[in-house]
Amino acid sequence: MSLSKEEQTELTRVAVFAGQILHQHGAESRLIEQTTQRIGLALGADNIELSVSPDAIVITSLSDGHCVTTTRRCFDRGINMQMVCEVQRICVMAEKQLLDARDVKKRLKRLTPFKHNRWLVVLMIGFSCASFSHFFGGDRAAYWVTFVAAAVAMILRQELAHRHHNPFVNFAAAAFVATTITSFGVIFEAGENPQIAMAASVLLLVPGFPLINSVSDMLKGHINMGIARWVFATLLAISVSIGIVASMTLVGVSGWTS
Amino acid sequence: MIELLYLLLQDAWFAWIPAVGFAMVFNVPSRMLIYCAIGGALTHSSRFLLMHYGVPIEWATFIVSANMGFLGLYWSRKHLIPRPVFTVASVIPMIPGSYAFTAMIALVEINTTGYSLALMQLVMENGLRTLFILTALSFGLALPSILIYRGRPIV
Repeated sequence: MSLSKEEQTELTRVAVFAGQILHQHGAESRLIEQTTQRIGLALGADNIELSVSPDAIVITSLSDGHCVTTTRRCFDRGINMQMVCEVQRICVMAEKQLLDARDVKKRLKRLTPFKHNRWLVVLMIGFSCASFSHFFGGDRAAYWVTFVAAAVAMILRQELAHRHHNPFVNFAAAAFVATTITSFGVIFEAGENPQIAMAASVLLLVPGFPLINSVSDMLKGHINMGIARWVFATLLAISVSIGIVASMTLVGVSGWTS
Repeated sequence: MIELLYLLLQDAWFAWIPAVGFAMVFNVPSRMLIYCAIGGALTHSSRFLLMHYGVPIEWATFIVSANMGFLGLYWSRKHLIPRPVFTVASVIPMIPGSYAFTAMIALVEINTTGYSLALMQLVMENGLRTLFILTALSFGLALPSILIYRGRPIV
């Protein structure tokens, strides 16, 4: 199958757009690479080469000995698995030749990130951290203190994220608020061991997804993506601990290292 | 025996909640949340069982996350959905967040109060435990694509 120059350029744009969406919504590097290549090949390129780096992707398509290369910057738009699923579905449909380049582009353009109801998320995160307090051996008082602290921290996190604040500032602020609320549990001696609530209430701020993605990227050969994600997750964890330490110093309650 | 079963069920009950909660933060599609709940409950309770019989936490984590990787493989081929959608949310209850924060806080404390053996012990022990549990988790999840698929796409 021979492509005209315009067709090849269009194909490259469609493939890089799919890769960009995956990159921005937190897919692992192997998935970004494979899906972009599969869409390109399904639309008729002879070969697709791409380089995934932490803030951009570069892609080259080959057809009849001609190369078209393009680069896209990828800004982090938050982890969204629904977008990853949709791009994957479009990729599978293109491979079965149900869609041509124009359909793929139209469908990719139409995708809008789905978000769960924010109050439902707050409620579930509150109960999640409360469950962690149960795993740490907390009693009923610790359970409810953790629930309140985690829910308030989650509301703050959503508000700051909505206003596009820096993630490090966001996480430090949320950790500060959660620890301050649970410190009052310690001061007023809620239950047997209120320190457990201090440990459990900040677990909503663990950067679990970047950490798992980081290790699996490195395992599958994308060392520099893995390092970038690892450093990002570590910095987030450091800003959370600075938030916790700031709160403990201010309120004068220590729950972690003593 | 009955008591162990009770503890196991209790563990499974408290594990599905964080799995679904964090899956919602990652915006997993609504009809896939049930799989995250099943995965979270299964993995955390089977790790509890393994640790009850004396398996160290890193190896227990590795075994259950490898099983979760294969279960995710089945689900992802059934629904044509990428594997991380199920698997990452399911192992979230096992992420060593508390160890990670303890290590970091002890580091900050060393800076403010000066070096002490007790603080350094906290940093090293918690930091290493975080590192090993996390590697075990990701390696276990990646096992199907490392051993069986070896570079070929799963869906």
